[in-house]
Amino acid sequence: MIELKQVTKQYGQAAVLKNITLSIDEPGIYCLLGRNGAGKTTLLKSIAGYQNITSGTIQVDGKAITTSTLDTGVSYIENFARHFNLPVRKLLRLASEVNPNYDYDFASEMMDRFELDGKKKFHHLSLGMKTMVSTIICLASNKSAVLLDEPVLGFDAIMRVEFYDMLAESFRKHPRIIIVSTHIIEEIAKTIQKLIILDKGSVRFFDALQSIEAKAFSVSGLQKDVEAATKGLKVIGQDTVGGLATAYLFDTPPEQTASLEIRPLSLQDFFIQMVGHHKGGAKR
Amino acid sequence: MRAIVSIVKRLLASNKISFILTALVVLCATSSGEVVLSNGNYTWLLAVLTPFFFVFYDFKKLMHLGASKKDYYAGCLISYGFLAFCVSLVNTLIHLLIDPLYPAKTVINLMDVCKWTENGIVAAGFQQMCFLLLVMVFLHVLLSMQAHWYGWLTDAVLAAIICIFTPIAPLREILSGFFQIIMLNGNAILHIGVCLLLSAALSLVGLVVLKRKTL
Repeated sequence: MIELKQVTKQYGQAAVLKNITLSIDEPGIYCLLGRNGAGKTTLLKSIAGYQNITSGTIQVDGKAITTSTLDTGVSYIENFARHFNLPVRKLLRLASEVNPNYDYDFASEMMDRFELDGKKKFHHLSLGMKTMVSTIICLASNKSAVLLDEPVLGFDAIMRVEFYDMLAESFRKHPRIIIVSTHIIEEIAKTIQKLIILDKGSVRFFDALQSIEAKAFSVSGLQKDVEAATKGLKVIGQDTVGGLATAYLFDTPPEQTASLEIRPLSLQDFFIQMVGHHKGGAKR
Repeated sequence: MRAIVSIVKRLLASNKISFILTALVVLCATSSGEVVLSNGNYTWLLAVLTPFFFVFYDFKKLMHLGASKKDYYAGCLISYGFLAFCVSLVNTLIHLLIDPLYPAKTVINLMDVCKWTENGIVAAGFQQMCFLLLVMVFLHVLLSMQAHWYGWLTDAVLAAIICIFTPIAPLREILSGFFQIIMLNGNAILHIGVCLLLSAALSLVGLVVLKRKTL
């Protein structure tokens, strides 16, 4: 269980995390979305105890997390993490030796599946392969919370699909909290259970994907019809062109009429409307 | 315990550059004249180089492999103890076996300079080991602080102490007294006791520094 209470992180005068309160109770694969600079890495690093927060508390399985926590029970891997320049198999073996609960069989299996050359030294791997090794090490650690910071960076399309499979398989074998930060929204949707959207240091959205499927819609039509249909509903964004308007809702959709076109929002469109900050057209 | 043993092995394995540099200096150093420096003295170089690698090279990588800070620190301290023992053993053997063969009138080995050999070679070796352990732990703590303001402050304070205490006679006496106790000490029990106590105290300071260390 990960619990954040009124977490604020400031660098000088700039607040990167602003009074975040969040409770992740159940094991699951959670996707952390946010624009560049939204505070995703800062949030993940703070949960991992890699850096201190300015105020508030973070607890993982009831244990307070700060840099003082000598054994956090959290596994975090950042993109471009540097490792010892050892052959991949030796590196995975070393990781199994320094991690008490490490699943070496899983790591070895993944190494074979991704056709990683066990004899090749880490520094000789491509960027994607390096990231894959880091991700395997992190997932095989079997710690109670696993945090992956942009793990698919540098992956080709096939590797990304394999990665999502690996993620799902790892979770099936050892159900725990896995938080994945990514920018490739649609691809990960099939794998995750819940979505966390971070915007300018605050949590804008934290719910199951099903709620987006049930509540996220676009309503298009004449501006007056759209405004009348969406009155009193939670409008997360709006575009207007001439007399036509599209309202983006996160609510129960209005009654379908001949003058309105109601469509479900894709995850990406929902994300854009939540954090897009349109100039001119948006209304919140 | 398995994790700590693995970390110790990894720390020692990734300390190759220190081993090679030390070996090169020990093997290649030459001096001429009637008074020469023992090549065994250069084994101390390993004690100076090692903390740099443990702090700046190994820490992040071990954390990325999922090691805990606790195991990393325990691994470092055990490695320092082991390396202090090895360096001391090698220098003692050089002092016993090679220094007498040197074709010069006087061979200076720091074990003699520090008066440790007055207590017999075994006690001298042990004194040397404790002193080297203190040096390594001190450097580890000092280097770990360098990313923070208090590291720079400590550097400044140490530099100020040396600059101010050296020219002023009464203060120089204090500084000299300190080094007499931790280094140039013929009293084996006092010397070993002080070195171990200071190492323990510095280890605790190092733990506090480690707890503040970010990644």
